[in-house]
Amino acid sequence: MSELNAFMNPDGKAAARNHTLILSLNSFCNTASFNIHRSVSPTVLITHPHGRNEIGVNKDRLRRSLMGNALNPNVFSVLVVGYEDKTTSSFVNELKAKTRKPVESVLVLDNGTLGATREGSEIASRMIQINSEYSREKLSIADFTIGLKCGGSDATSGIASNPAVGKAVDRVINMKGTAIFSETTEIIGAEHILAKRAANKKVAQDILEAAKRNEEMAMSLGVDLIGTNPVPDNIRGGISTIEEKSIAAIMKSGSSSISGVLDYASVPLNRGLYFMDSPSAASEVMTAITAGGASVILFTTGSGNPVGSPISPVIKITGNPYAAKMMREHIDVDISEIITEGKSIQSGSDKVYRILEKTISGRLTKSEILHHDEFAPVPVGL
Amino acid sequence: MSGEMLERQKILLLSVADNVAVAIVPIKKGDVLEIDGKKIGAMDDIDFGHKIALREIKKDDNVIKYGEIIGVAKEKIPAGSHVHVHNVKSLRADRHE
Repeated sequence: MSELNAFMNPDGKAAARNHTLILSLNSFCNTASFNIHRSVSPTVLITHPHGRNEIGVNKDRLRRSLMGNALNPNVFSVLVVGYEDKTTSSFVNELKAKTRKPVESVLVLDNGTLGATREGSEIASRMIQINSEYSREKLSIADFTIGLKCGGSDATSGIASNPAVGKAVDRVINMKGTAIFSETTEIIGAEHILAKRAANKKVAQDILEAAKRNEEMAMSLGVDLIGTNPVPDNIRGGISTIEEKSIAAIMKSGSSSISGVLDYASVPLNRGLYFMDSPSAASEVMTAITAGGASVILFTTGSGNPVGSPISPVIKITGNPYAAKMMREHIDVDISEIITEGKSIQSGSDKVYRILEKTISGRLTKSEILHHDEFAPVPVGL
Repeated sequence: MSGEMLERQKILLLSVADNVAVAIVPIKKGDVLEIDGKKIGAMDDIDFGHKIALREIKKDDNVIKYGEIIGVAKEKIPAGSHVHVHNVKSLRADRHE
């Protein structure tokens, strides 16, 4: 069994990175959070336009996505930047109850943005120094949760990149690792294939119901999936219908048995392969699966796709020779030789797996190098 | 061998059940393509990654790729034609027609 050089975090969980997180609780705190992130380094930053007057499902989803990302194994300490004491201490207390990581907070109200920036920068600089003392050790892929996503899909996604990633995922699952795939809209038309792979009847039913709810939501909103999904760049790439996109999209999950269906931003309770019921856009999915504990993401793309995550390295894989050239600054693994030279899916999969091991062991991805740290906690949507 | 240059494969059949194949290079109208020993003439220009009908697909017949139904023909699609959003529609979340 190959070994990975990775971190063990303060909760005793395997991690690919040892981040100090600056976490903004609502839009009022984004400026102070950004200032702290700029003042002291290295930190990772989560900002977003939400958090005030949220109600119902949106409030719940925002809370779970912020909490889940703070609990992600790659985060070693958290500086929460809140507006006022009541909501901030409620969040901090819940977080502290769930982790042994250092968690501290600063408030913008009565301190001002500049006061919160100064106080927060001092706290963050202490956290950074402590986190810098962790060193990498030998760990196994069995200790990791791998996130899966495809974006900017085209015809090569179903021929090369998704099947190659699927084989790499089979390998992770065979070695007792964990993986999460998602994108509920993009199982529509392929849910019968996934249901057959379900570990039991309940899981099969959960998969079919997730797809049905999603399709009914589209229809109740009066929208036609055409024009929304497949999106215009999918259509340019040769994908005609949601069924065609979905059948190719699910190939990235490989052929392993599906152990369960997770709610938005939830953590798997056991090892194995899980499906998360979530909206399907790239940043939204990555925010949800990093909240679910994914500490590295395999991301296949046809036309090329720039997005990343503040928390987890995102490995971009393409089977499209044009994207490998035109979008090379975003591509980590080029397996277009499957198309251009008729090379095997297995050879592409081996390439993906090698880069997965290296990335967990510290190799930076293009998304990290290019500061692609999008964060999209989500409202309800398709 | 006839001594001709071995031409690079231009279309890919993903499953034996399929009635479409995928262009893995851009195809020009009039190009003669070969698949499983059968010749087929391209009726349209077909971009990289786009689909070509391997045989006539009648209106309302299933379009099959990866051995799975990906939609139905909106009109009769002659063999060799470009198969895409103009002549295929989804069977899912469809409120029209």
